[in-house]
Amino acid sequence: MKNSRIIRTLAQKLLPFIFLFGFYLTFHGHLSPGGGFQGGVVIATAIILLTLSYGIKETENRFKEKHLSVLEKLAILAFIFLGLLGIFFGYPFLKNFLPLGQRGYVASAGLMIPLNFVISIKVAAGMTGIFYALVKYRGEI
Amino acid sequence: MTPINISLLLFMIGLYGVISKNNLIKKIIGLAIINASVVLFFIAIGYREGGLAPIMSRSEAVDSANQIFVNPIPQALMLTAIVVSISLTAVALALVVKIYSKYKTLDVQKLYEE
Amino acid sequence: MLNHLPILIIIFPLSIAFIILLFKKYIIALSTFSILFSLASLLKFAPSVYKGQIISYHLGGWPAPLGISLLIDSLSFFFALTVLLIGMMVIIYSIPDKKYNHNYYFLLLILLSSMVGTIFTADIFNMYILYDLVAIATYLLIAYYQHGVALKASFNYLLMSAVGLSLFLLGVGSLYAMSGTLHIASISEQLPEIFAHNPQIIIMSLVLVITSMGIKMAMVPLHGWLPDAHSLAPSPVSAILSGVVVKVGLYCLIRLIFGLFSTEKILVNIASHYILMVFGAITLLFGAMMALTQTDLKRMLAYSTINQIGLILIGLGFNIYSGFEGALFHVLNHALLKSALFFCAGIIIKTGSKKIKELAGFGKKNPVVAFCFVILSLGIIGIPPMNGFVSKFLICLAAIEAGYSILALVIIFASLITAAYYFRVIQIFYSEPIQPNSNLPNIDVAENSLFWDKYFRLWPIYILTGFSLMLGILPSLGLLLIRPAVKILLLNIIK
Repeated sequence: MKNSRIIRTLAQKLLPFIFLFGFYLTFHGHLSPGGGFQGGVVIATAIILLTLSYGIKETENRFKEKHLSVLEKLAILAFIFLGLLGIFFGYPFLKNFLPLGQRGYVASAGLMIPLNFVISIKVAAGMTGIFYALVKYRGEI
Repeated sequence: MTPINISLLLFMIGLYGVISKNNLIKKIIGLAIINASVVLFFIAIGYREGGLAPIMSRSEAVDSANQIFVNPIPQALMLTAIVVSISLTAVALALVVKIYSKYKTLDVQKLYEE
Repeated sequence: MLNHLPILIIIFPLSIAFIILLFKKYIIALSTFSILFSLASLLKFAPSVYKGQIISYHLGGWPAPLGISLLIDSLSFFFALTVLLIGMMVIIYSIPDKKYNHNYYFLLLILLSSMVGTIFTADIFNMYILYDLVAIATYLLIAYYQHGVALKASFNYLLMSAVGLSLFLLGVGSLYAMSGTLHIASISEQLPEIFAHNPQIIIMSLVLVITSMGIKMAMVPLHGWLPDAHSLAPSPVSAILSGVVVKVGLYCLIRLIFGLFSTEKILVNIASHYILMVFGAITLLFGAMMALTQTDLKRMLAYSTINQIGLILIGLGFNIYSGFEGALFHVLNHALLKSALFFCAGIIIKTGSKKIKELAGFGKKNPVVAFCFVILSLGIIGIPPMNGFVSKFLICLAAIEAGYSILALVIIFASLITAAYYFRVIQIFYSEPIQPNSNLPNIDVAENSLFWDKYFRLWPIYILTGFSLMLGILPSLGLLLIRPAVKILLLNIIK
């Protein structure tokens, strides 16, 4: 796929839209099918598409593995911190203490939006890390 | 052939793959089939006759008070189970990559003799 | 903050694990601190649990049948205490070795926190998820040194364990389909009515649960992964696998059979008398006989684990008070003794060799470790001043009381075989080497160790041996811990 000009151009032009779709799935997780995990996988798919069309070296220059690894660990620590935040107000772990809005609108379901966002970042970074690890070994065997 | 029977049949097919195939990658594919069959089993449990997808909608075509919805809890449980299945496949593939780089073969009979 | 302690016991080592992976500094201090914190928080519950109080914590504020809740009663307190104690010893034992980098401590902390999570949770689907996390951590820890044989053993274990956990999920699914809730206490209340209408599905889920937990705790037809996985892993990992990870499968089995299926008495009777006792006896004899023929030290200890697990299953299968007491006490004893034996094996392999035949003269080279090995093997065989005697005696008493006297003879016969294979090793320790100048290296010359490594490696062995001797001389201390736990098991059976 590396020598195809159509796929390279399309991948480059479609990349922001795939990211947007991933975040849309994440933030509407409480209203329609989706949520953190699905959005994260779509975002990782965008980076995988870039790898398939441009090669691993170019993609790794832009989405560096060190940054992704740090982002992944910060995301899981942020998840635990958000859960513990309720404890400081006296509620049990992971209790929904942000205000609930109207049912059916995006700005409802208090704690789920930050949690979905953090999970999508962690899953995207994790999936991309797994893909990098499996692809980089291709030459060494 | 209800969906529950089909899911148990898929479980048996996946188990046959794990037991009898000689290639390590085919064993991992059998494992993925087993996990998919368990997901199908759970979703099939949650089905209700005449039910719609469990999505709250603001439109007037769906009368949220008197409509029968499919059980959404197995679907939420299966999201977590799919994540677990993916991480299991990833760990298995990492082990297979390392085994191949040490032994240069993926055949179970040859690996057993070494 | 104090009534949020149950969730903090699980979350704190988990977050310290990720902090270790992020910063890669102060690894040993952080991991020791996190396990000490969990142990101290757990001991804070000891007075109230001893009085029989049940502490439950609802995550997210959702009440019991709707949400996930954590349950600390005396049974889960006992198992969690064993897990954290052995975990602490394993972390101390692996301090001197420079080859254990941040990845190892990360995996170890995730293993310990998810084991405690599996023990505390009162929700069967949450139990599956956390148990899968335990399993993934063990696959990676077994393959830590990346030798070829260890990778093959880890892959074998992965296939069998993943199929077992999928079977467990099928059993969980059938229980959920019939009762509509995932909470253990709620399902056990609805069980008699469900059993009156469709008994087939409840029997199917009972069989699936026993089979899947049998794969995870190495009941005999399903034990094939254990000898390879436990013998080819690094020594502290073998200690925690043989000592504690196998017991978590036992805990899930106990909680589901005697906690969930126990309201329908015929199920418990069939499960315990026909399945647990029979397979326990087969496991006992099989493990003993296979261990007799091994030439590798760690493989012999792994088959000895299968031996003792069979004994615990027999003790559970009698369904009476002294049987449960003996079985649970043997869980504690076997965890202490087997972990200390694997620690000794680690030192023996580093300064001697893996094969038993080549260990001649080890008793003269390193008298302290050899003496501890002697005391610990007396414990597993079941000779009076040690704790193994108390638990085996209780199980034999329970055999006679329940009317199965032939099983008491089988247990004594298996103890004789155990004595045979342990005494063979001890005899080789204290005999003269065959070649006069055998090239066994000195204990002071060990390649990648810190200056004070003798203390970090030897003190866990001394502490665990001391506990075993103390529990053997004063068994009432151990029974103090176990009697409240046994009351939980008998709660539904007496009624």
